[in-house]
Amino acid sequence: GLLLVTLLVSHMLLTKEGVTSMPICPNGSVNCQLTLEELFDRAVKLATYIHFLSSEIFNEFEERYAQGRGFIAKAVNSCHTASLTTPEDKEQAQQIHHEDLLNLILGVLRSWNDPLVHLASEVQRIKEAPETILWKAVEIEEQNKRLLEGMEKIVGRVQSGEVENEIYTPWDGLPSLQLADEDSRLFAFYNLLHCLRRDSHKIDNYLKVLKCRLIHDNNC
Amino acid sequence: DLLQRPQISKCRSPEMETFSCFWTAGNVYNLTVPRILQLLYKKSNEEDWKECPDYITSGQNSCYFNASYTSVWTPYCVQLASKNEIHDKKCFSVDEIVLPDPPVHLNWTLLNTSQTGIHGDIQVRWDPPPTADVRKGWITLEYELQYKEVNETKWKELKPSLSTVAPLYSLKTTRDYEIRIRSRQRTSEKFGDFSEILYVSFSQLGIGCDHCTEEVEFPWFLVVVFGVCGLAVTVISIMLSKQPRLKMLIFPPVPVPKIKGIDPDLLKKGKLDEVNSILACHDIYKTQLYSDDLWVEFIELDIEDPDEKNRASDTDRLLSEDHLKSHNCLGAKDDDSGRASCCEPDIPETDFSASDTCDATSDSDQFKKAAEKEEDLLCLDRQDNDESLPSLANTDPPGQHRNTQSENSLLWAPFGDSLVSPRPSVHTQMSNQNSLTSTDFYAQVSDITPAGRVVLSPGQKSKLGRAQCEGCTEQNFTVDNTYFCEADVKKCIAVTSHEDNEPRVQEQGYNEDGYFTTESLTTTVANFGASTAAAPSSEMPVADYTSIHIVQSPQGLVLNATALPLPDKEFNVSCGYVSTDQLNKIMP
Repeated sequence: GLLLVTLLVSHMLLTKEGVTSMPICPNGSVNCQLTLEELFDRAVKLATYIHFLSSEIFNEFEERYAQGRGFIAKAVNSCHTASLTTPEDKEQAQQIHHEDLLNLILGVLRSWNDPLVHLASEVQRIKEAPETILWKAVEIEEQNKRLLEGMEKIVGRVQSGEVENEIYTPWDGLPSLQLADEDSRLFAFYNLLHCLRRDSHKIDNYLKVLKCRLIHDNNC
Repeated sequence: DLLQRPQISKCRSPEMETFSCFWTAGNVYNLTVPRILQLLYKKSNEEDWKECPDYITSGQNSCYFNASYTSVWTPYCVQLASKNEIHDKKCFSVDEIVLPDPPVHLNWTLLNTSQTGIHGDIQVRWDPPPTADVRKGWITLEYELQYKEVNETKWKELKPSLSTVAPLYSLKTTRDYEIRIRSRQRTSEKFGDFSEILYVSFSQLGIGCDHCTEEVEFPWFLVVVFGVCGLAVTVISIMLSKQPRLKMLIFPPVPVPKIKGIDPDLLKKGKLDEVNSILACHDIYKTQLYSDDLWVEFIELDIEDPDEKNRASDTDRLLSEDHLKSHNCLGAKDDDSGRASCCEPDIPETDFSASDTCDATSDSDQFKKAAEKEEDLLCLDRQDNDESLPSLANTDPPGQHRNTQSENSLLWAPFGDSLVSPRPSVHTQMSNQNSLTSTDFYAQVSDITPAGRVVLSPGQKSKLGRAQCEGCTEQNFTVDNTYFCEADVKKCIAVTSHEDNEPRVQEQGYNEDGYFTTESLTTTVANFGASTAAAPSSEMPVADYTSIHIVQSPQGLVLNATALPLPDKEFNVSCGYVSTDQLNKIMP
């Protein structure tokens, strides 16, 4: 009885965020393969979910640790993915070639793989970190991996030419997450979470643009 | 009049392509002086502060940044300054300040009405704000619809959804409604402004029931209350009613304790004496047999009531013997003598319970307890041993021995139980203790082996090892009392078992349904007595009664080896039993 209730509640929560388990293949299909539309649908859902989690974790962190430390004033920061030239407005997003945009998306996702792993582990060292923050960090890391896999599938389908050089930015922020000084350490977390929220929003947006462009012919 | 400094009130982007910042001038400066306040901005990757490109488009005290000046995910800082003084500063990025415009083109259509025409369902439809580029997927909007009756004050909300249609159910056709909608960017928290209000009036469409009386809402509350009361009354009346059948139907009775053949009322009311008497007095024959011999009643387990533990533990130990468990018996340990462990012929349990002596017992409880224990101890439920010889006429030496033992049981039948029915096909292995069972169900513990087994008297242990084929003693069987010495007779039988006398015994045994009268036994024994053999040297007999030397609770008792003084040499010390006369001689 308790297990059933737990499953029901978790399903409801997941459904709310748009991550439901969809049937992989319709019944009776022998050589089953997801259509590009389905792949994009899933990717968009995952990206939205990741952005939602990132927003929440940032808000919680800000509420818990950033008040009174003046972190907001220092929010003019630079993220490690700033070197990737991603579209900054709608015009640029519409003009960029979809393959390039896909590769950029892949690049951003890959660049976040490493930081997310360390975020999940280092956030546990924060004194009295709330369980919700811990859980979200782990969840974001997992979902990011899944999205990366999905994107690689999409790129495989869409890309006509050869595989380009992998776009990737290394992250060197681990020492800052392990600083002895608590204020400096918390500020490093604040920046990282801020960057995460922003980049996840970018990914979410780009994927929607691509979906509407490629699948629905600009008529979502 | 408080001094209010100029402040940036908010910065907002309606579609994530442009943004505007608004400020308040405060009351410090002379507001007629134009352009005294400046808004400067700087992107994070730039060095210099630049001035606002458009002060007009967004209205007074505002700055508008069009698409060319807007980079969505780039952090900006704006500051409100005049001359050389900075009044306020704000930093943000455009994706954080998105507040969409309100939806447009609200309208509603009627879905259906109820049968009575009092309620109706409608569907509300609208368009996204024109500035937001939803079609290309640049922004995704979520909508929240609110509605209320015209003369109400509080708005009801629907859950935010992504679609641009929403149904409203069960609106009253007699009332008019107001609807408004607002939107926000998905995964944001803040909503934009509300749309214009949509008025819903059913009378416009000619629907509605002007003269209808309003439906009385179903009085759920009353129904529940009355239902509960009625149910409670019914239950109470059933419980209190004298109708047994109805009561049993709804409240089935709890099973009461029950013993076959005994009125449960007796058990319920706790009249143990009566129960005991019922259990006890089933066999009158026993009464006859024992009536003259008061001595019998005093044979009890040495372990007295105060040593409950010992008794319980010994009994438990007895009962928990693995190989005896299935037989639920008491038995001596298997050793090489070939004398197998355990069990006498099956005695029907019911009979045995009835065979409890009908002697008037002073202590009915003790009696009862002892009786129960005896039941267990004395091999009542023994299952047939497959290894047992089916017939008694087996000439194998072990078989012989077994035969003799079974015969012994038969022989001993008249001394005790009227229950011992001959089961020739079954019983081959018996302990010497069975002889005791055939006499009565009290057995005396003569010794407790280190393994924890209890050996019952009378003194057979010492003689067990030599049970094989000893010659008959030349002792004269004292026939002056009802009891024979078991040992003596056994010896005789053991000796002569391999001879042809055996069948005779059997025949005799079986002739009388397992009962031997003392006369017949005497003759039989006398016959045996004719064939003599080397008399087995009698050992020091183990007395029937020994005093307790040490109580090693709960392991057991250590009994004194010394026997009671037996001044009377005529007294056959090898006998297991002492008649009352002899006992009287012994006891001072």
